[in-house]
Amino acid sequence: MRKFRFHAVASVLLTAALALAGCSGGGGETASPSGDAGKSPSGGQGGGEQQVTLSMHSWRVEDTEGYKKLIAAFEAKNPNIKIEFKPFKATEYNTILSTALQSDSGPDLLQLRPYAPGISLATAGYLEPLDNVPGIQNFPKNVTAASTGKDGKVYGMPLSLSTTQFYYNKKIFEENGLKEPKSWDELIATAKALKEKGIVPISFGAKEGWLLSLSNGVIAPASFGDGYVEKLLKGESDLKSPEYLKSVQRMQELIPYFPENYVGLDQNDMRTLFATEKAAMYINGSFELEGIRKLNPNLQLDFFPMPTDDGKQVITTWVDGSYAVNAKSKHKQEALKFLEFMATKEFAETFAKQFHSISAMPGVKTDDPLVDKMAELSQSSSVPYLMVIHFAQGNPTTKQVLENSLQGMYLGKLTPEQVVEEVQKSAATWFEPFKK
Amino acid sequence: MGNIAADRQGIRPKGRASWLIHLFPLPALVIYTLFVIYPIFSAFTYSLYEWEGLKRGVFAGWKNFATLFTVEPFQEMFWNSFGHNLLYFVVEMVVQNGTAFGLAFLIYRKIRGAGFLKMAYFMPRLLSVIVVGILWKLILHPNFGPLNTLLTKIGLGEWAKPWLGDPDTALLAIILVNCWFGAGFAMLIFLAGLQSIPEELIEAARLDGARGLGMLWKIILPLCMPSITIMTIFTFIQAFEAFELVYAMQGSMGEPFHSTDTLAVYFYRLAFSSAGGGDVAIGLGSALAVVLFVIVASVSAVSLRLMLKREVRH
Repeated sequence: MRKFRFHAVASVLLTAALALAGCSGGGGETASPSGDAGKSPSGGQGGGEQQVTLSMHSWRVEDTEGYKKLIAAFEAKNPNIKIEFKPFKATEYNTILSTALQSDSGPDLLQLRPYAPGISLATAGYLEPLDNVPGIQNFPKNVTAASTGKDGKVYGMPLSLSTTQFYYNKKIFEENGLKEPKSWDELIATAKALKEKGIVPISFGAKEGWLLSLSNGVIAPASFGDGYVEKLLKGESDLKSPEYLKSVQRMQELIPYFPENYVGLDQNDMRTLFATEKAAMYINGSFELEGIRKLNPNLQLDFFPMPTDDGKQVITTWVDGSYAVNAKSKHKQEALKFLEFMATKEFAETFAKQFHSISAMPGVKTDDPLVDKMAELSQSSSVPYLMVIHFAQGNPTTKQVLENSLQGMYLGKLTPEQVVEEVQKSAATWFEPFKK
Repeated sequence: MGNIAADRQGIRPKGRASWLIHLFPLPALVIYTLFVIYPIFSAFTYSLYEWEGLKRGVFAGWKNFATLFTVEPFQEMFWNSFGHNLLYFVVEMVVQNGTAFGLAFLIYRKIRGAGFLKMAYFMPRLLSVIVVGILWKLILHPNFGPLNTLLTKIGLGEWAKPWLGDPDTALLAIILVNCWFGAGFAMLIFLAGLQSIPEELIEAARLDGARGLGMLWKIILPLCMPSITIMTIFTFIQAFEAFELVYAMQGSMGEPFHSTDTLAVYFYRLAFSSAGGGDVAIGLGSALAVVLFVIVASVSAVSLRLMLKREVRH
């Protein structure tokens, strides 16, 4: 009996394993859960007083509660429109969205990835142009550029900005008589002083590539000097130029000030080291603010933008997402109405306060001094995050090639010269100005 | 394996029951066609077109396949991933299946506590792959992980490494975790194979003077060939479709420095690019899926035929 039962178990497992092996052979073409557009009973556009339900997709699962409040404010003014906010896991979002759009079951409203990935949806004809939506003129051109299609039309209502900077622990700095550095040399001197005191100067990890391009985004603009980016975009200079090489060399120069085993550390580890006051500085995005504070509410947190060699400060900025309307939505008028609401100052203020994020609309204040400082700097001293804004195309993207090569540099497999060589090679395969 | 004999003695169904029985596999067939056969064909058609983002462009013939194998960096990434899958297979065969056979043999010989050992070795398999991945990620953590702490405590501090952050150890670490995860299952298969050897054959061999290793090599191993065949093919399929554990431990970027790329991970990145936010390459991705399918299906079919031929029947 015992023996028989064991055989039965074994054969059941065998069958199960066969089935599993078979299933994964196809290569992920199966349908994924998608939107529920057209679920509402009313048909036709501009449904008058009819009750209409719009579906709204996003990758911000953590923002669900906040969005509910924003949506409630809209619904109070537009009683005939209901909005269902449906967020998906950030890393799965692009896949879910593109499958849904392809099978014509996309949502009415969708959060749009900034720059190339979002614009490619517009190019494919899935999005409705927004140039005639009242309020869109409130946003500066460099902000709407994140969702401007190749045809010059704007396809996304901008939501917020992201910035990257050096966070630092005010208490550690004060205890050691240190001040915000005003140049690269001062930054190195500060790091050296911290190291001598036995404190990890910069919380850093090279395990996740995207953090490497992000750090390069912070460090690089200070080594560019005036006019480099313009020349680069015209094809008069390239990524192998001394300016760009210097930015990669500087990233190498920081190695002695990173934590032990930094090549094996990821974002979580970096945040923990910094929040638990084991490290004094932390290069990261405005989106980390909440996470750091949650880990240690008593941390005396501040930040400084990157100091340039000629005594200025630069903060790296880019647009982080916007909202778009599905061109095939059955309720386009209602969806556009919501975007019109998103373009009001009222929405921008509530949004910025709710999420402690920098509004894409200039001059919007929150009750958070750090966010306000970031917002001000992003108006006065912002530099574009080059890799996200201009070099996030190709396959793999030039941004990914930079990440991978920087990883190689930190692992001792590539020199800074080889890093820029790889990056340039990748960009030359698709970046028009380099093809001349 | 063992209880097929029972079916042969079963009563033959008559009349209506005999045709009704042929309908029973239908639901499974429908599901199989919908979710396995159909996607394979659609992937194949996708691979023959050019794609601009999500939009299907003109018919491109074999161009996507050519790009995959002749254009940098795709060519390099393909062979890099292919090599990793091969390593996956070899290490799993040696470490996982070797250990598993050893364990199965010990349990078969009824050492003390065999029942408990059987359960203990199978335990990891009950966990979800994602849990296993996260668990080992914590154990292998360079600065807070128990493994490095242990190494430092017993005076082997210089052996402590960022296991998953170092391209020399990252993939091997993942494969060994997979071995730990898979050994219990392999052991069950081998044990089933060992237990299906008729006692009389062993007795007869013993009377003819076979002992110890000789018995193992000349009698037991050949008689176990069916289960070894099955496990080899399983391991091959598993190694060439390695994805879940790599994804759970390292994500889909093949980090660090492309050292943990497998064909499936590379496919995922190429076709969906979710993590990188770059251009999606549906045509290229589909071509890679087709290539992966051809590799797995053809090698499995050929080796199954070859190995079945050589099996000893009893």
